[in-house]
Amino acid sequence: MATPANEVPAIEVRNLHKSFGDLEVLKGIDFSVMPGEVVCVIGPSGSGKSTLLRCVNRLEESSSGQVLIEGDDITHPDADVDALRSRIGMVFQAFNLFPHLSVLRNLTIAQQRVRRRRRAEARDVAERTLERVGLSDKIDAYPSHLSGGQQQRVAIARALSMEPDMMLFDEPTSALDPELVGEVLAVMRDLAREGMTMMVVTHEMGFAKEVGDRVVFMDDGAVVEEGPPQQILTDPQHERTRRFLQMVG
Amino acid sequence: MTKRQKQRLVRGVLYLVLLAGVLAVGLLADWETTRRNFFNAQLAREMFPDVLTIAARNTLLYTFLAFSFGLVFGLVLALMRLSSIKPYRWLATIYIETFRGLPALLTIFLVGIGIPIAFGTRWPTLVTITLGLGIVAAAYMAETIRAGIEGVPKGQMEAARSLGMTYTWAMISIVIPQGFRIIIPPLTNELVLLIKDTSLLFVIGTTPATKELLKFGRDLLNTHANATPLIVVGAVYLAITVPLTQLVRILERRNARSR
Ligand SMILES: Nc1ncnc2c1ncn2[C@@H]1O[C@H](COP(=O)(O)OP(=O)(O)OP(=O)(O)O)[C@@H](O)[C@H]1O
Ligand SMILES: [Mg+2]
Repeated sequence: MATPANEVPAIEVRNLHKSFGDLEVLKGIDFSVMPGEVVCVIGPSGSGKSTLLRCVNRLEESSSGQVLIEGDDITHPDADVDALRSRIGMVFQAFNLFPHLSVLRNLTIAQQRVRRRRRAEARDVAERTLERVGLSDKIDAYPSHLSGGQQQRVAIARALSMEPDMMLFDEPTSALDPELVGEVLAVMRDLAREGMTMMVVTHEMGFAKEVGDRVVFMDDGAVVEEGPPQQILTDPQHERTRRFLQMVG
Repeated sequence: MTKRQKQRLVRGVLYLVLLAGVLAVGLLADWETTRRNFFNAQLAREMFPDVLTIAARNTLLYTFLAFSFGLVFGLVLALMRLSSIKPYRWLATIYIETFRGLPALLTIFLVGIGIPIAFGTRWPTLVTITLGLGIVAAAYMAETIRAGIEGVPKGQMEAARSLGMTYTWAMISIVIPQGFRIIIPPLTNELVLLIKDTSLLFVIGTTPATKELLKFGRDLLNTHANATPLIVVGAVYLAITVPLTQLVRILERRNARSR
């Protein structure tokens, strides 16, 4: 990618380590995402993909190393974590919508509490983002009345209504019935096309190939190789990558 | 005998035992004495309307005060137990274990009599009552509330935090409301226990205007040497508590279904 030398990465991970007790899960990760870039992270189960993603917005405390969000160190003890997080949208495998709140409240509650937006303004933003994910008619529904695909699209809309600078996705389609995967990927594809910076942990190789600017292959807590999707997915340099790709078909 | 026949025989015998029991009670009991001493209509009629306007009202008022105090203070204790600051956790644990381990009556004596004697001050009756019952109720409710909060999936807090909400706001607007939904049935059970525990309050002394149900009934029992008042206040207790326990049953069934 031809990026100006002075451009600050949206996400920059420097020598990141993370252990759970004796188990070292991340073994020195170096890695960055440039503004507007879509990076897909692939790798076998247990390789540390989720942990890496969760360290990026500090849902997980790293053991050592740094994570810079647009140049600001989120791992620094004095960092304003809440303010930084509000610039990073996150989408979970299990959706994690707030089941006691309507779709509208799911989308406005953080806008009002964190962005200090007025109700009417927050509602306007919510209506616009719901339209982007094609769910304007569900504004008054409760999450339990939506299909999995619709719930995940609401979850994406909830993150978008904070107008974040970047989005993190942790296997957003893994909990969905096969026939519902497409609608979620379509929303993500639109987002990428609009220039959103995205870091996507996924098993959807088709999506990675089509939408990703770069693919990162992780194994056993380390980045094994990274590069353009074409190269990584069809002509990997490392034996471990090759074996993984054969396994997932 | 086949297994079926054996089962039928056992059932037949059980019905016979039941019939014999009913007959024995019906023939041997002294119905006239029972009626006069437990179901004296005249005496029962005289208890109205005071049994409702004073006694039941006080029972409900004391329950409400103690429950409100227990709920608020119990929530504070539950949050302390979940705190990342160790001394808070210790304090809450010590409090909860102490007041769940002591007889409720001891706490009521302590608040209602021990403290006034020690410091020579008397709090207003309602304050004494609220604390006497509420201190214990808070200990029980704290554990219930903690279980409710812990029952909310971790992803809820994470989703809220990932949107930039502070821990406090995420607790208040996301976790606690869902936790309470889970614990409405056990909290209602605690409400029923509390209604019955108001009957312990007589030990701190009452005036005619502050009597709760049981004290009201006991005083009439003593003046009339007749147990009818106990039957009447018992019926009033049941009229309050049985609908609540039925409500719990409905709520639990609905919770089970929604899961
Ligand atoms: N909270 C935790 N406590 C202890 N160990 C954990 C915790 N979270 C993750 N791990 C361990 O860390 C390792 C990496 O987990 P992680 O969830 O990051 O893997 P992953 O690459 O996302 O796998 P998957 O594809 O199955 O989601 C695993 O061995 C997992 O058991
Ligand atoms: Mg994972």
